[in-house]
Amino acid sequence: MAILSGKGVSKRFGALAAVDQVDFEIAEGEILGLIGPNGAGKTTLVNVICGSLPITAGTVHFKGQDISEWTANRVAESGIARTFQIPKPLPGMTVLENTMVGGLFGRARRSRDMNHVRELARETLAFVGLEARVDARVEALTVADRKRVELAKALAMDPELLLLDEVMAGLNLVEIETVMDLIRQIKDRGVTVLVIEHVMKAVMGLCDRILVLHHGKRIALDTPQEISRDDRVIEAYLGERYAAAKGQRVN
Amino acid sequence: MWLQVIINGLLIGGFFASTAMGFSIVWGVMDVVNSAHGAFIMLGAYVTYGLHTMLGLDPFLSIPISMLVLFIIGFLTQKYIVNLIMKTAVSMSFVLTWGLDILLINIALVLFTANWRSVSPSYAGAHWAIGTATVSYIRAGVLIVSVLLMFGLSYFMSRTKMGKAILATAFDKDAARLVGVNIGHIYAVTLGIGSALAGAAGSLTSMIYPISPQLGVTLIAKAFVVTALGGLGDMRGVIAGGLVLGFAESLGVALLGPEYQMALDVLMLVAMLILRPQGILGKKYYG
Amino acid sequence: MSADQSSLVSRWKTAISDLRQGRAKRRTYVILMVVALAFLAVLPFVAGNYWVRVVTGIFMFATLSQAWNVITGYTGYFAFGNVAFLGTGAYVTAVLVVRYSVPVPVAIVIGAVVAAVYAMLLGFPLLRITGHYFSIATIGVNLATREIAFNLPSITGGGMGITMPLMRVSIQTFYRYIYFGMLGLMLLCTAAVYLLMRSRTGFAFRAIGADESAARSMGINTTLYKVLAWGFSAFFFGLVGGLYAYWFSFIEPPMVFNPANAIKIVAMTYLGGIGTLPGPIIGAFILEIISETVWGRFLELHLAVLGLIIVFVTVFMPNGLLPLIRGESSLRALVQNLRERRL
Repeated sequence: MAILSGKGVSKRFGALAAVDQVDFEIAEGEILGLIGPNGAGKTTLVNVICGSLPITAGTVHFKGQDISEWTANRVAESGIARTFQIPKPLPGMTVLENTMVGGLFGRARRSRDMNHVRELARETLAFVGLEARVDARVEALTVADRKRVELAKALAMDPELLLLDEVMAGLNLVEIETVMDLIRQIKDRGVTVLVIEHVMKAVMGLCDRILVLHHGKRIALDTPQEISRDDRVIEAYLGERYAAAKGQRVN
Repeated sequence: MWLQVIINGLLIGGFFASTAMGFSIVWGVMDVVNSAHGAFIMLGAYVTYGLHTMLGLDPFLSIPISMLVLFIIGFLTQKYIVNLIMKTAVSMSFVLTWGLDILLINIALVLFTANWRSVSPSYAGAHWAIGTATVSYIRAGVLIVSVLLMFGLSYFMSRTKMGKAILATAFDKDAARLVGVNIGHIYAVTLGIGSALAGAAGSLTSMIYPISPQLGVTLIAKAFVVTALGGLGDMRGVIAGGLVLGFAESLGVALLGPEYQMALDVLMLVAMLILRPQGILGKKYYG
Repeated sequence: MSADQSSLVSRWKTAISDLRQGRAKRRTYVILMVVALAFLAVLPFVAGNYWVRVVTGIFMFATLSQAWNVITGYTGYFAFGNVAFLGTGAYVTAVLVVRYSVPVPVAIVIGAVVAAVYAMLLGFPLLRITGHYFSIATIGVNLATREIAFNLPSITGGGMGITMPLMRVSIQTFYRYIYFGMLGLMLLCTAAVYLLMRSRTGFAFRAIGADESAARSMGINTTLYKVLAWGFSAFFFGLVGGLYAYWFSFIEPPMVFNPANAIKIVAMTYLGGIGTLPGPIIGAFILEIISETVWGRFLELHLAVLGLIIVFVTVFMPNGLLPLIRGESSLRALVQNLRERRL
């Protein structure tokens, strides 16, 4: 059953079509990868889904409801959480407070008991590995830790659908493995995940299916095996990367 | 009667545009809303007043002097004060220049007192008649100077090396820095130019209105409306904005009487902010 | 020094340092507050009328700065023209008392409610505008409201103002009433802000002030919360306005919509520490006392110095005095910060 589906989704900036008539659906509980060369429209598509950018044409449905025209906060409240490619932690607030905001205003919206929200935030931070830094100011964090906070903020919202935008960019191999494991655990908790990634190892290793965009258009939506064999994809994108990923998986 | 309204609108519109030019360029290039712009205009007015009263210098001839004085003031202000907060939150420049504005106005109050003064050259009342309307020499002169300033600024921005450096900085200051542009210096020159234009506007103001230290308060509001109407980043926009405001005021005075002028201005300001902030998204200055 | 004495001294020192850093035990805070309140409660009975008026003014500005901090320091929308709501509260109160014989306390509260509603109605269009534009728009609102007050002489007395009825007590008693009234407002406002900022709504305000688009992606209805923040601050501005009208017994537009008050509030809040709870109070006390004793007699000089303070603080100490008091920052750190900001 599709938890999120899009029909003819388009986003134009003047004459430029950043996203061009994209159809897709994400099945409940799956991990869908979203890949494509730089500028393919991946982040724009996510922005449109989340209501950060107004949709130009087409529709987006979430759990059967048409969310195409919804504002960003309404989308967030309904159960979709996202992370940003360049993390946007809330400055002037601690790691714990940042996470609590997610708990207070996401789908969870536990408005009454601040202590309860605080506890849950601590648990979420422990899950992503930041329990040692709960009281740190976000300005003082390393890049890797900022990405963790970004993830914690989104998870605290208790989403049904999580959209991760290049969460592994800039991480070393060990960190990538850790994050991949976290994502698997998130999936096990019943959360559907969409992962925008360039790290092929992660995409091939994690995803049930992969959506490939190129110049704003969808060129493939299939399992990793099929994608790695698809001529259009190879032509547009995979190239040498495919060989490297294939080589690593064999190992 | 309508001819007079149109002529008045044109004349005052040109004047409004001149008050806005310096404000617009500073905002467009540096993303700094210079709340002290009004005070700078006021200082320019007093320079002209002083030169006229003490040396008998014709107000039009004092314009280059007031421009020079204000250029120096603006340059030094940017270099030694405002440059220090350019890297902080955008709102800081607003608060900082606001504090500066208050400081300058009150120093002026202490030095010059709140008495209204005026600059009246010998040709003050003279005018031409065009049909049923009259055009005063002074106001026509003000319009001409405003137009000259506009052309001068345009030329400077597009043809001179400094002008191009300023435009480059407005577009992308990091790239500008990489090609050897000293950003701090460029900012200082920009505020200098903006202040010089304010000084010129002040000189023009002194010829049309009586002056006092609080002069800038109403004028900066008009400068803001003109800038916002015309859109940041284009001198033609400033002219257009000035004319729109000029005609609106001329019409308003003709239809409603002068008491409502202040209310009308404020109404335009607030309505415009609500209805047209989208027209001001392009913050880069294109010259 | 004997052993008892030195341990007492060291206990004092730790208590003070804990207090400075906001880490003190609840008991220390309570003791401190009780002592301060006792002092303030006794003051009007031992000091002359002059000082009673000065301290009342401090309470008034501390309240205004505290309320201003909510929309500006926490939520990030610099409402420079907030005095419009002080004027609104003053006029509504005055009109209700003078023309409709409403009891003063009731009139003050109604005035505050009207001010809050006014702010919230304006907030919907105006709070969509960001940054500089919003600030300027609020200044416009203040001027516009002043014009409205001028141009409705049948209701507001226009330029002639409104005269309030005087209380039938001695001057001294009257000033004491006002003193405790303003003290009460200051305590009420501080308590309200304290509770508010620890609540879910407070988190929304801070998130908006931190990064509005990130806040939106996390599910915060930013328009709603911004309007609430402005309404909250306008409410307290209105309360103060109403009491102010009663205090001065006569109001007219240039007085209650006076931008100079806005200047003082800005200077005080920045001086004390924007976006903090003790900041506005500290700023109000320091600024009022110094200005009163040093230069208060010369209005222009006073305002010029305020302007200078604003310039100085924004450049050298953008976070105000509080971090210095708390030891979170130091002069050296400030100089370092300044160097880093060089272009």
